[in-house]
Amino acid sequence: MAAQPKRLAYEFPSYLHDPPGIWGWLTTVDHKRVAVLYAVTALLMMGIGGLEAMLVRGQLLVANNHFLSAGMYNEMFTMHGTTMIFLVVMPLELGFFANFMIPLQIGARDVAFPRLNALSFWVALAGTIFLHLGLMRGLGMLPDAGWFGYANLTERMYTPGVNVDCWDIGLLILGTSTLLSSLNFFVTIVNMRAPGMTFMRMPMFMWAMLITTILVLLAFPALTVGLIFLFADRFLNTHFYVVSAGGTPILWQHLFWIFGHPEVYIMALPAFGIASEILPVFSRKPLFGYPMMAYSIVLIAFLSYGVWGHHMFATGMGPIADSTFAITSMLIAIPTGIKVFSWIATVWGGRLRFTTAMLFALGFVIEFTIGGLSGIMHASAPVDLQQTDTYIVIAHFHYVLFGGMMMSILAGFYYWWPKVSGRMLNEKLGKLHFWMTIWAFNATFFPMHFLGTLGMPRRIYTYAPNMGWDFWNFFISINAFILGFSFLIFFINIVWTSLRGEAAPADPWDGRTLEWSVASPPPAFNFVTIPTVVSRDAFWVRKYGGATAHGIAPAIAGGAAAGVAMPPAVGHAEEEHHIHMPAPSLYPVLFAIGLFMAGVGCLVWTRLIIMGGGLLGISIIGMVFEYPTFGKYNPEMIEESTIGVDHRKMGMWAFLGSECVFFATLISTYMVYKDRNLSGPDAMILNIPLTSFSTFILLTSSLLMVLALAAVQRNDRKWSVFWLCGTIFFGVIFLGGQAFEFTDFVLHGLKLQTNLFGQCFFTLVGFHGIHVLIGVVWLTVLMIATARGKIGKDRSLAIEIGGLYWHFVDIVWIIIFTLIYLMRTVKHA
Amino acid sequence: MRFSKAVRKLVAAPIALVALITAAALAGCERNFQAPMNTLSTRSDLAADIYSLFVQVTVWDSIILVIVLFVFFGAIFWFSSRPGDEDDPGAGITTDHGSHVALELAWTIGPALVLLLITIPTVRTIIRTQPNRWPQDTFTIQVRAHQWWWEFYYPSLNIHTADEVHIPIDTPIHFELYSEDIIHSFWIPALGGKRDVIPGQINSITMIAKVPGEYWGQCVEFCGLSHANMRLRAYVDSADDFKKWTANQLAPPAEAVTPAAMAGEKIYKNAPCAICHTIRGISGFSAQYSYGFRGPDLTHFGSRGTLAGSMLDNTPENLALWIQDPSAVKPGAQMPTLGVRGSDLKDLVAYLESLK
Repeated sequence: MAAQPKRLAYEFPSYLHDPPGIWGWLTTVDHKRVAVLYAVTALLMMGIGGLEAMLVRGQLLVANNHFLSAGMYNEMFTMHGTTMIFLVVMPLELGFFANFMIPLQIGARDVAFPRLNALSFWVALAGTIFLHLGLMRGLGMLPDAGWFGYANLTERMYTPGVNVDCWDIGLLILGTSTLLSSLNFFVTIVNMRAPGMTFMRMPMFMWAMLITTILVLLAFPALTVGLIFLFADRFLNTHFYVVSAGGTPILWQHLFWIFGHPEVYIMALPAFGIASEILPVFSRKPLFGYPMMAYSIVLIAFLSYGVWGHHMFATGMGPIADSTFAITSMLIAIPTGIKVFSWIATVWGGRLRFTTAMLFALGFVIEFTIGGLSGIMHASAPVDLQQTDTYIVIAHFHYVLFGGMMMSILAGFYYWWPKVSGRMLNEKLGKLHFWMTIWAFNATFFPMHFLGTLGMPRRIYTYAPNMGWDFWNFFISINAFILGFSFLIFFINIVWTSLRGEAAPADPWDGRTLEWSVASPPPAFNFVTIPTVVSRDAFWVRKYGGATAHGIAPAIAGGAAAGVAMPPAVGHAEEEHHIHMPAPSLYPVLFAIGLFMAGVGCLVWTRLIIMGGGLLGISIIGMVFEYPTFGKYNPEMIEESTIGVDHRKMGMWAFLGSECVFFATLISTYMVYKDRNLSGPDAMILNIPLTSFSTFILLTSSLLMVLALAAVQRNDRKWSVFWLCGTIFFGVIFLGGQAFEFTDFVLHGLKLQTNLFGQCFFTLVGFHGIHVLIGVVWLTVLMIATARGKIGKDRSLAIEIGGLYWHFVDIVWIIIFTLIYLMRTVKHA
Repeated sequence: MRFSKAVRKLVAAPIALVALITAAALAGCERNFQAPMNTLSTRSDLAADIYSLFVQVTVWDSIILVIVLFVFFGAIFWFSSRPGDEDDPGAGITTDHGSHVALELAWTIGPALVLLLITIPTVRTIIRTQPNRWPQDTFTIQVRAHQWWWEFYYPSLNIHTADEVHIPIDTPIHFELYSEDIIHSFWIPALGGKRDVIPGQINSITMIAKVPGEYWGQCVEFCGLSHANMRLRAYVDSADDFKKWTANQLAPPAEAVTPAAMAGEKIYKNAPCAICHTIRGISGFSAQYSYGFRGPDLTHFGSRGTLAGSMLDNTPENLALWIQDPSAVKPGAQMPTLGVRGSDLKDLVAYLESLK
């Protein structure tokens, strides 16, 4: 039989060129295209954020400078921080590197939810624009209360303009994007690994991203609640963060930092992962201590929830809280140290190749270590009392964020850009970029330790001469300009090589992981055949065989002859099968536009909120029914799902995890504030008998839901519809009870704005009610589809997932009912 | 381990780099460097406590850094790939399974021990500096933070002042911190750490000042437009000096004697100044009518070294500049432009400076 020519990956058009045209990019759901969209936006924001930093340093060049006004300076440092964290580092790490590399590294064709992926980008773009929307009212209307927006400076009374509104709503929009993309990546990594790729065989970057996504899911909701409270204070006249009703501005700090500290690990872990990819490749050695590296990532993430108070040592939390947070902050240094030492041990004994990617990765290790060591100083609470809010902290976090994260990101660029673009970045320009960065970075940020020790506070737009700060400020500013210039070299490198660069082979670096086994740039479907994985460093082993006691060299010489087990180079005969890629969709763009409109409506015209919400609803329903596979319980897909759980079910569980944190934050606020109520009706206004009845109704509805699912799974249309109608009906009764209760309270003088109890009660129970309402609408849609015969046993997954959501909402209600209603007379210290 | 020919060069390189970095680091450790906000010039018991902890942590940090840097640069210099590696694809491919239990245990337990050695004195210092009760002779000063100036009230002496706080030496001073608007932070580096000033709660910081002198402080929690301009001066006085200062503050305001000062006093009485400012005996307006927009007590304004939140030295020229256009000097300042100009302004300045 004539030899069938092997269909090589590079015979297919790359994802960059197929399909051509703007419409293709607008409606794309290809993870690689979405990643490139993220990268382009983030690189633009990198330039803008850097410019903001240059302006800040320009103002601080000399004492009593008049380069920027005080107001403009405050805007610049606020936007620099907000931009770098939310619009540069996170989009590059999650939106670009993770998005592009996760499917390629785990041997998948795309992420679990491709349209959600595209949606996350367009929502992120909407958030990015929204943050800057104040510019439409003039240059003086950018957010100016710091990236951390401490209350009560952010209250309407002290910052009346639209700037903080844009910051508040913009971050809510960005948070939505990040939550959705993390949910996506979580399900992808858990569910879509290639056959044979166990957790302990996947690349370390995958470990980093897996844990990062869990951190996002369990930390962002705390920020969401904090921002919602700020929104309520600014737009709805509540008093969450002011003292007049019994509240305290410290609540904001707790909520923000309970999010904020995991946030810095959300930024750090992907950077750790990237370095863990690059160092082994350019040392020609496997990563040292793989299991401990994986476990230390988990430990860091776990501990990161227990250290937030170290941002608040000066707030007077008391000696017990101060000591506890000091201890936990010291503890988190141990797994971090394990990682640093393991990186050095990876490099030790290897054959180092100093490409630009390697140089930046090595730079990352050292600069991050220096940042970590100053972090240990800050963890000691009494020492921190001299250091916090001074330039020492600015030095610390720039060492970890810039010297750490940014250098790792730059390393990732030089490493992965050939794969993404099909062009090699110029190594000479790269090395110039590196050395300029190393000098200018250290010269800019190391002297800030001196400035802080000499007492220079943070966030000051000017300083008096002869404080001992003049020389170092001048020195720092000059070097900061050089640092800014080094980025110009980087941008030039990217643009120049994109136009005229040397073409990149599939495997320019002799890589170890699966992304190097496909063409540069890859075709839209990634792999011709899904690989089978037999060990860690899957691609390396495929090239050079597994390790034996005699070394690998014999395996290169003659494979099986050396007695080395070689993994199959090609998978099954899948070449004959069609590769089915997800179809493009416009709904992600429409969703983002709807969200943006709703946000703008909050600022200018309330009716726009409803219009935006309508567009949101249409896009959600459109996306649900867009594919013919909606709700289809696909046994093939279950087999292929690494863990045996359908993607959509796994996605719902991940979502419910984030909802747990959302409600936990609302409930905690209620518990903390309930005894601070100064006047007006309090929990004694609650009608226990009536609410007990509605609780019983809601619990019964869960039982009815279980019965509905059982009926659907035995294909019994009549009873499916009956039990679903029952669930919906009981849900509506519950909502009716809520409506009655709320109306009753308002008539008795308890509104959202009345007092502390009112605002905490209505937000908590109100949000729960909204969840019930969404559930009722959802179940109604499902019920109608079932009644029309569209949902039977083969689509029972749709009912199952709806049921999961419904049961969760019920469980939350049980907790609310117990803590708020039944335990209303219990005083909490 | 493989060494190339120039062994000395390879060993010297990491050592040189480490030495360079250490030298750069130590460049900033000058204790007595003339900087008014130097955190290393400890002048109170609290500052000394913090400083000794700081030294301990810095020593441990430096030891760890030197070791890490040495090993790191050593690895870089000693293990670069040799020429000819590109032609030999098998070169350097190791069977190293990438683990070494003893090493991993050592670099987990070692740092944990070091951190323990840092944590124990940390917790002890926290508890020692925040006791439940302070000694009997503790002297309380109320600090009230406004956007963007500091007000001081001595409850036991009934003294109101602003910008400057006088402290008796060798006495436990208990600063009670109140905010009139948003979160600020009270910090006099030479006298110890900072404490946030938070509306709705009364934070405090207590220390015993040990060395007489003038110390500078500043607000260190971002509080809006003129956060950078919210400064203060602290004077640690000997017992006699403090008695003198107290007596002066309690005395009624100085009589205006020069013609300029007398004219200025008339101008002051007819201008809206008294709505926000108090000069004892002139009028009691400010206490009753200026809720939310109170300005500093001016009874002994002339005796102060600074004005406008310790932004400017207290000279007639600066005072004139300030009165003419407060928000040009201090962006966002609540004090309005009063339209006092020319010779009227000179007289008003003369009057205010006469209030010694």
